Amino acid sequence: MTFETVLARARAEGRTLLNEVEAKQVLRDAGVPVTNTTLATTREEAQSQAEAAGYPVVLKVVSPDIAHKSDAGGVKLNLKSKDDVAAAYDAIMASCKQHVPGAKITGVAVQHMAPQGTEVIVGMTTDPQFGPVMMFGLGGIMVEVLKDVSFRLVPLTSRDAGQMIGEIKGKPILDGVRGQPASDIEALKNTIVKVAEFVEKHPEVQELDLNPVFAYPDGAIAVDARIVVAGA
Amino acid sequence: MAVPGHRLDRMFNPKTVVVIGDKGPGYMWLNSNMPFKQKGGNLYSVQLDPKEIEGIEKLGVQNFTSLADVPGEVDYAVVAVPRQVSPFVLKDLIAKKANGAGFFTSGFAETGEELGIKLQDQLTQMAREANFNLVGPNCMGLYLPKVGVRFSADAAVANDGKIGFLSQSGTHGIMFSLVSAANGLHVSRCASFGNAVVLDVSDYVEYLAADDETEVIGMYVEGVKDGRRFFRVLREACAKKPVVVWKGGQTEAGARATRSHTGSLAAPQSVWDGMMRQCGAITTNSLDETIDVMKALLLTKAPKGDGMALLAQTGGQSVSITDAFAKAGFSVPRFTDATYAELQGFFNIIGGSYQNPLDMGGTIAGNLEVLDRILRIVDADPNIDGMAMELSAMFAARQWKHKPETLDQMLDAIRVHMDRSAKPFVVILHPAHEEEYIGSIKPKFNERQIPVFASFDRAAAAMARVRAYGQR
Repeated sequence: MTFETVLARARAEGRTLLNEVEAKQVLRDAGVPVTNTTLATTREEAQSQAEAAGYPVVLKVVSPDIAHKSDAGGVKLNLKSKDDVAAAYDAIMASCKQHVPGAKITGVAVQHMAPQGTEVIVGMTTDPQFGPVMMFGLGGIMVEVLKDVSFRLVPLTSRDAGQMIGEIKGKPILDGVRGQPASDIEALKNTIVKVAEFVEKHPEVQELDLNPVFAYPDGAIAVDARIVVAGA
Repeated sequence: MAVPGHRLDRMFNPKTVVVIGDKGPGYMWLNSNMPFKQKGGNLYSVQLDPKEIEGIEKLGVQNFTSLADVPGEVDYAVVAVPRQVSPFVLKDLIAKKANGAGFFTSGFAETGEELGIKLQDQLTQMAREANFNLVGPNCMGLYLPKVGVRFSADAAVANDGKIGFLSQSGTHGIMFSLVSAANGLHVSRCASFGNAVVLDVSDYVEYLAADDETEVIGMYVEGVKDGRRFFRVLREACAKKPVVVWKGGQTEAGARATRSHTGSLAAPQSVWDGMMRQCGAITTNSLDETIDVMKALLLTKAPKGDGMALLAQTGGQSVSITDAFAKAGFSVPRFTDATYAELQGFFNIIGGSYQNPLDMGGTIAGNLEVLDRILRIVDADPNIDGMAMELSAMFAARQWKHKPETLDQMLDAIRVHMDRSAKPFVVILHPAHEEEYIGSIKPKFNERQIPVFASFDRAAAAMARVRAYGQR
């Protein structure tokens, strides 16, 4: 499905938020490394998709009415078998219906659970003065508390992306501390550049979060994605 | 040099300037612009009020009661009329095909009043339709020291200006002009552009980037009308010459509606910082920082590496100067063995040290040949990319006052060193307890174009900015 198709469908449904499956699909087409994620609308679909993805898997609720998926019991991690998946599917449906009565539930996103890496955030927002702006930061406490993030306007070069990574205070964490291996900076630069190219090509995109992206010694991958588009 | 064909070229190189609505007893605008007349420019006044005309004619300025009667082409006008009158004046300026006008008149949108907003909209619409170069309103307009067009009677008239300066604030524009001149640095062209209803900072940056006389561009800016255009113009300007941006109003504006984590983190100043770095601009936070970095850019070379040789007069200061430069990101490397061997031969280590930082007051003891020898030896050291030297009012002021020629000779020796060396060299002269005296000898540094700073921290910060600019 192309970006235009996804956009048209979202707009037809009166949505400005692309769900995780849609967001990852359009980003993957744009060359952004994301975990392969599929949408299951039945327990059986979830099971067969889990088999295809390879265990362990993660199930996450897909609903236009549920913003905070974990709070609604809509996320199940580290599922290792068909039975685990079936139980998790039922638990998610029950919990979400209970927490957000009347919520429209599109289905459940199924993906292989990527091994833990160093968490970073790559995002984009539309600045009222400067238009599309890319952001980079370390995930978790560094971004929440210290707001240790850097910005560049779109369009940007690979060199700009390198400077974005280089100027955050937590950079030594990416260089490897206390015996931890260094993160693949080239892969992070590539992620930033590809996202910037994607938003430049699609001015309908207003905001975007890849949070978190797992950085590895060899490569990087976005495990969650969220895209806000302009209303029709 | 002019920028032929540019829409702002005539007003930035005026032959005829008209002051509209100046008032006695001070006649501030006519008096400020008198050097323009003295230099052969056509300075005219337009004033209807018979009570004012007599005073204007006493100044030797020809007055007209209508702009239409002014002979020839008008390149620039200063408008100082009440706000209600300003649309009528603008209509006349457009009819006269004047190239541009600075509207000192205020009381527009900045007041938040309905009438002010309405009048501003009216001016904006009229100027846009006519493609008229309206500077301001609510501004001090242009300062062109070479031709004698000034926004303050205190501003210098000078032919050697190299700094193009732009300011959203009239005060900061005037202050920059005065303080830079006090530091021996002159402005090529300056615009205080106030509410920027027609011409915004990007228009002026574009002109200054193309202007050969302007070697460095500086600006005080709080916000821009068209952020995307500013980004493009700033980036293009930075590719041609150093651009120093002093961004005012750095506290965060109110949060806006956002649905992403990224949006909630994108504080306006953080986005500005990223944008400025992306363009390759040099950023500052105050008037002093702006002047300091311009001084370093114009008066000394850029360091090719981080290694600084620090030349202090005493032991305590050798520690302080090292702290300041280290904090700014420089290293203070060991000299090579060859350098040590040479210095060892004559250095007075009783109460001194020839390690880097040097504690050399006791060795020089007023002997300029020894100073010159040290400068030569350290300059040749491959570990060293630049030098900063302390001059001490504590020890030397008494001698300099007693024998002023000793100061002159030392500054000449420093100048000789700067001319032969490929590496940057800066001087730190703390005012300390001799503030007034130090102020009085500053012109000696300015005449010789020796970059002098009032503290180690300020010198180090200026050099660090120049270093970062070189690495951008």
